[in-house]
Amino acid sequence: MAVITDIADAIVAELNAATFSQPVAAERHYLPQFELKEMQTLHVTVVPKTVVLASSDRSRSQRDYSIDVAVQKKFETGDNAELDPLLALVEQIADHFRGRRLASFPDAAWLKTEQTVLYAPEHIDELRQFTSVLTLTYRVLR
Amino acid sequence: MADLLERGSRWLEDQRTKHCTRDVNYVRGAASAVVRATVGRTEFKTDDGETVRIEFTDRDFLVLSTDLVLAGSSTTPERGDKVRETQDGTVYVFEVMDWRYSDPYRQTLRIETKLVGTETA
Repeated sequence: MAVITDIADAIVAELNAATFSQPVAAERHYLPQFELKEMQTLHVTVVPKTVVLASSDRSRSQRDYSIDVAVQKKFETGDNAELDPLLALVEQIADHFRGRRLASFPDAAWLKTEQTVLYAPEHIDELRQFTSVLTLTYRVLR
Repeated sequence: MADLLERGSRWLEDQRTKHCTRDVNYVRGAASAVVRATVGRTEFKTDDGETVRIEFTDRDFLVLSTDLVLAGSSTTPERGDKVRETQDGTVYVFEVMDWRYSDPYRQTLRIETKLVGTETA
């Protein structure tokens, strides 16, 4: 398998093994596509995003693998009491990966986490759904 | 002098309600009411958002504004209300996203919804 899918699978395994404020059942997808009516339950989706290659030293290259982690759930009222726990979960996920090597792919070093979509206002407005996306970047020297 | 256009519009809306509607259940919390609704539009769409695509079915319901009475009070739609439509043994649950009047005389509500679930009738 490609390294990026190995890393994505390792992220899925970490998410499913960890304990967060609410249960998480993450899945990896190539083409994540869901119907709105499926989104009543929490969806955590892991999607390979980009690979950036650069020279590291004379003999090795460094590859930065970025993987998106999307947290989504359709809400009932959309008030703070309902959305705050979801945003807190995203923060917990970000904190969980910060500075940590992945248990099933320890060659990848955590580089950074970006909250590329803190929350999608258009999803709140048009779908009454919470969507937040984290981008995790790992560096591998080869 | 009466507004002829308004009278004509009212007659047309009455005819629509008599001949081009089906019963749906309009629900807000514990309150509900059976109203006669015309299906105004149904479209399947995809939101090509960041990372994850969401597919959804849009459906508009046209309802006489005087028919929408919940818990004894006339009301207008609110985001999050549900419209439950039964067809061939399946209840399709639509969630209200927005609404507007569909005519200049505020006789008919165009209730914009998205399909959020199905249940067995």
